[in-house]
Amino acid sequence: MNLRQCINADRRPSRTSSVRLKHPRSGFIINLMIGRIRIWIVAASVVSLVALAAVSWLSYRNTRELIAANQRLAQAHKLIEDLAALHGLLDDAESGCRDYALSGRMQSLKPYEAALAELDVSIQMLRGDLAASPSRSRQFQELEPVISARLAAMKELVQTRTASGSAAALQVLRSDRSKRLTDEMRQRISAMQIDEHNDLLERERDSRERAQSTIRAVGITCLLGIALLLTASLVIYRLNLQSESDHIELQNAERIQRAILNSAAYGMISTDRTGLVLTVNEAAERWLQYKSAELTGRSIAKLHDPAELQSRGAQLTRAMGMPVAGDHHALVTKARHGVADEFECTYVRKDGTRFPVSLSVTALRSGASDLSGYLMIATDLSEQRAVEKMKDEFVSVVSHELRTPLTSIKGALGLLVGGVTGPLPPKAGEMAQIALSNSDRLSRLVDDILDLQRIESGRLTMDKQLCDVAALMKESTESVRLLADGEGVTISVSPSAASINADHQRIVQALVNLLGNAIKFSPRGGRIEFAADCTGRSVVFRVEDSGRGIPDEKLETIFERFQQVDASDAREKGGTGLGLAIVRSIIQQHAGRVWAESELGKGSTFYVQLPLFQSESPTTD
Amino acid sequence: MPRTLLVIDDDHDIREVAKTSLELVGGFRVIVAESGQRGVAIAHDSRPDAIILDLMMPDLDGRRTLAELKRAEETASIPVIMLTAKVQADRQELMGRGAAGVLVKPFDPMLLSDQVCEILGWVPLEKDQP
Repeated sequence: MNLRQCINADRRPSRTSSVRLKHPRSGFIINLMIGRIRIWIVAASVVSLVALAAVSWLSYRNTRELIAANQRLAQAHKLIEDLAALHGLLDDAESGCRDYALSGRMQSLKPYEAALAELDVSIQMLRGDLAASPSRSRQFQELEPVISARLAAMKELVQTRTASGSAAALQVLRSDRSKRLTDEMRQRISAMQIDEHNDLLERERDSRERAQSTIRAVGITCLLGIALLLTASLVIYRLNLQSESDHIELQNAERIQRAILNSAAYGMISTDRTGLVLTVNEAAERWLQYKSAELTGRSIAKLHDPAELQSRGAQLTRAMGMPVAGDHHALVTKARHGVADEFECTYVRKDGTRFPVSLSVTALRSGASDLSGYLMIATDLSEQRAVEKMKDEFVSVVSHELRTPLTSIKGALGLLVGGVTGPLPPKAGEMAQIALSNSDRLSRLVDDILDLQRIESGRLTMDKQLCDVAALMKESTESVRLLADGEGVTISVSPSAASINADHQRIVQALVNLLGNAIKFSPRGGRIEFAADCTGRSVVFRVEDSGRGIPDEKLETIFERFQQVDASDAREKGGTGLGLAIVRSIIQQHAGRVWAESELGKGSTFYVQLPLFQSESPTTD
Repeated sequence: MPRTLLVIDDDHDIREVAKTSLELVGGFRVIVAESGQRGVAIAHDSRPDAIILDLMMPDLDGRRTLAELKRAEETASIPVIMLTAKVQADRQELMGRGAAGVLVKPFDPMLLSDQVCEILGWVPLEKDQP
């Protein structure tokens, strides 16, 4: 399999003339790697963010609660202090009051009056302290009437001493009520202090627990972060190793690809989608005499014959029914539309000299439909053309050199057999007739070889014009009339009223060959059906004989050169073995086809299908 | 008086066959020349009624000989039939150069005279020979 076949084989499964640029395995690995890295990065980011948010929220909440707890602790300490101060003031007031009751000295009333003066402020402060603590507030509300009652008792004691003297005052002092009120008051204040103290202890414990929980959360997050970091590092390290290995593999593949491109006997040029050259292989550099750098970024049209591009642009405009400019578009338009395109054109070297190439243009697509550029693979036809020219000249010379003696032989024998030089003895006449018929056969063989060579090499251009099918059939039949009469064969003609765009002389030659074969292989008294039928956009000529028929395995090969049903046919029937090969070549030059059907012992039918003339149809040359 | 034909061909055998055929079958008077130069000279001297001229000859080939004949006033009006071994002889091109017609080798000696007459618009002579 050569390189072009390899490329075509690559192209075949997609059923389009497109090629994927990426190395398939490396592309897959890179995609997989990118996918895995992405998943890891996204997962790590999400986990990190969630952990950070959780720790932040926990720290914020704990810090706020710590602040609140500290505030409450301070409030508790203040409350305890304020209660102690109230307790002290009330004790001071009571001491002053007792001293006055016992001594009657006005001096003793000063602590009492001073305590009374501060008592209101102290109570107000306590109310403020208690606003945030409903249970303490309730306790204080219950304490306040006791304080008021005690203060009222003190006031009564002072008034009694002042108004009624020490005896009355002692009586008041000894009363159980004062003692009871004092005890209750002290008891309540003490209870409040103990409760608050207990609360204080509880809050301190709570704060400690919260602080510890915060430390634990931060610790866990740190550990989690470290673990995450280690895992991510490991993954990145392993991916890096994989990536390096893939990179080496890719480089090796590229080196091999480059070596193949450079050692190929084809000129390969890739372009972007606007026809600007991207890469040039060594063969193309050598042929065109340019360095790759001199062509990169230049239009591919620079390498072609401008007149040829114009002509091809015009031809494609007609054929594709859309405007095709006579620049690089003339080279790539068919490939861009998904049509495999191979054609012959002329490359122009740096020094202006030209050489013929066969150019295959393929669209490069990076996705299902994303056109990224074109690949042009050229085969140098210079040598092939030189060989063809040599062969042509050889055939021409051989033809002349064969025909010259043939002319003498055939002429001399013709004169002898024709009796121009006088009568010949019967046996001599018979021998001369054999020599003449074989010189005729040799002459036909030379004609056929030359015809076939010229048709197949494309040297013989078909002079196509509007031809009437019935006229073609009539002329063909007339040409073989003498032969048919000689063989006692009748030809039944059923023409069709149709026209084809064809080379009149060559189509008649093809039909005459088919009719000649039918006559040669028909039994004496046999009948040949020569008909034409229009089917759709084509006309089908049919030559049906009642001869010996053709075996199935030879129905295809009889159209090859020198392939006859029977090896002795050439000798016995006077054929050259080239008639059907010529028919096929002529019909193929007219975009038609020829085939045979047969039943052994009953006869053969040859069909020639040719496109009907259509005024708008482009020429098929 | 039979018409005179000049056959110019470098191949002796072909000259002989053509001469025999044209004389015995067609009843013409035939003179021959073995080269283009000689043919031009004979044509100038003998003024034949028509010339049959081989296309491929050494030295002065058929095209150049035709040009010589058409250039000279004395021979310009003599019809020239080209004889060629090439299947794809460019008939139009040769006619454009002044040829009256083209005959292809190998020719049928029994039909050669008729073909010449057909090209030149002559009436074939009654064949009184066997």
